[in-house]
Amino acid sequence: MDLSTLGPFLVGVITSGLVLGFVYAIIALGYTMVYGVLQLINFAHSEVFVTGAVVGFEIFRVLEPSPMNGYLKLLIALIAAMVASGMLNVIIERLAYRPLRNAPRLVPLITAIGVSLILQDVIRIIEGFQGRFDLTYKLPPAFNTNFCGADSSCEALGTALTKVGISLQIKEVIVVAVSLLSLALLNYLVNSTKLGRAIRAVAQDRVTAGLMGIDSNRIIALTFLIGGALGGISGVLFGMKFGTINAYSGFDPGIIAFTAAVLGGIGSIPGAVLGGLVLGVIQNLIGVTNVLGSILNIANLQAIDASYQRIGAFLVLVLILIFKPTGLLGRSNTEKV
Amino acid sequence: MLELDNIHTYYGHIHALKGITMSVPEGEIVALIGGNGAGKTTTLRTVSGMLKPREGRLTLRGKDIAGIPAHDIMHLGMSHVPEGRRIFPQLTVRENLEVGAYTVSSRKIIEERIQEGFKLFPRLKEREHQLGGTMSGGEQQMLAIARALMVDPKLLLLDEPSMGLSPLFVEAIFDIVVMLNKERGTTILLVEQNAQMALSVAKSAYVLQTGEIKLSGNAADIANDDTVKKAYLGED
Repeated sequence: MDLSTLGPFLVGVITSGLVLGFVYAIIALGYTMVYGVLQLINFAHSEVFVTGAVVGFEIFRVLEPSPMNGYLKLLIALIAAMVASGMLNVIIERLAYRPLRNAPRLVPLITAIGVSLILQDVIRIIEGFQGRFDLTYKLPPAFNTNFCGADSSCEALGTALTKVGISLQIKEVIVVAVSLLSLALLNYLVNSTKLGRAIRAVAQDRVTAGLMGIDSNRIIALTFLIGGALGGISGVLFGMKFGTINAYSGFDPGIIAFTAAVLGGIGSIPGAVLGGLVLGVIQNLIGVTNVLGSILNIANLQAIDASYQRIGAFLVLVLILIFKPTGLLGRSNTEKV
Repeated sequence: MLELDNIHTYYGHIHALKGITMSVPEGEIVALIGGNGAGKTTTLRTVSGMLKPREGRLTLRGKDIAGIPAHDIMHLGMSHVPEGRRIFPQLTVRENLEVGAYTVSSRKIIEERIQEGFKLFPRLKEREHQLGGTMSGGEQQMLAIARALMVDPKLLLLDEPSMGLSPLFVEAIFDIVVMLNKERGTTILLVEQNAQMALSVAKSAYVLQTGEIKLSGNAADIANDDTVKKAYLGED
């Protein structure tokens, strides 16, 4: 490669980083919403998300021989994953967190880690009984073809995109479209509905929300339902994008999405989205640093490869905690007395 | 309207209310005065279900309400303006009012009451889309009262509405309190450190000291009581 290919190369890397970033963003929303109402990092969210990925895998597996439209299969997979992950999150809250509502904050945090470990093995056992460990998504073949590729009705657009460095598969376009739709729905729900106002009121002042007639336990449970459903969606998207998942697949994206939530400002919904996109792009850029090294002919850079990606995410986490603990879009609550 | 009979409330092991008996008759303003830590706020919190009395009877319009959680009591026609106002800082003025009407289902009634609130406090109308936390203390107090009125309460519990406000705002807030009582017939239980102000608008009053009622009666008589004058009205 030489310098003339650098532009399109970077555009391609950033584009696929954004696709990945949308998945992180949707996962990060699950962390940030629960944090918003309970000031709890729900470490079990990574398994809630894997549950969605497993349910998505099962739906595509069972429906594989069916001649059904691929997008209909996708819709069924998404809905099933939302229901499964949402319900699971509600059950976790009811059994593990609600009894600890008045305990010191460290207690539910440790519990969350425990729930996470338990669920990992439950998922492994359930799939392991059927002789499966690595679950490879059986997507409708059309999803693996190029977006606006050869012989499609929008071939001209595809060619133009390829020229600037963007070449996406159908499934990646689906990831972005589903993410944007989820974000739009969540934004409407939180900012323009009665339930959304109640969620924000409980997040800001649970006791006073009670004086307004709001049953905060019910609102917290609904928040876990919504956060879990988002986890389910992101699980299916993650499975589609990476193809293969297993019971322990939640850890890495979970930690990165948590970092994204902190980067954007934990508790802030736009912050989680911004954080997810930034980390997706950073991760992909680090993954190709060796390629950049050879294009720019810098020997030291050529030694940095994809195994440094996690370092990148954690470096961001450390820097943000040192220099801007409230995150990019977070704000410290200022109250007048 | 509201009856407390020998109410005992605890904070953990601390015996905060030691047998409070008081009565808030329909259509009246009743003042509850006393020094810091006397148990005024605890009394209101017990009434609105934020705290559970360990002993005693608590009735609202004849219905036993002891132990009913705060979020259910609001359905019974009572509204509580908490100490320190506690408006939602990251919600706009309008959203604060809408949350106040959480138990009201008709959008039309909610909108009517928001407009009534704006009529009562024109300042809130100007600030409609501003975040609650960015307003001055006096404006926040107006918002807290307007928010409590969204359920059209028969009984309004007011906890230290004058706290931290400039004299001008205190005057304005008390004018509204009197107006609500006269024009809407709202029964009001008013907790105040500003005893002088509270006694001037109330019909009857109770003086609370370390969790017990020390004195009760006609507000005018209490204002003339020598010990009250010394302890709470700053007169010698």
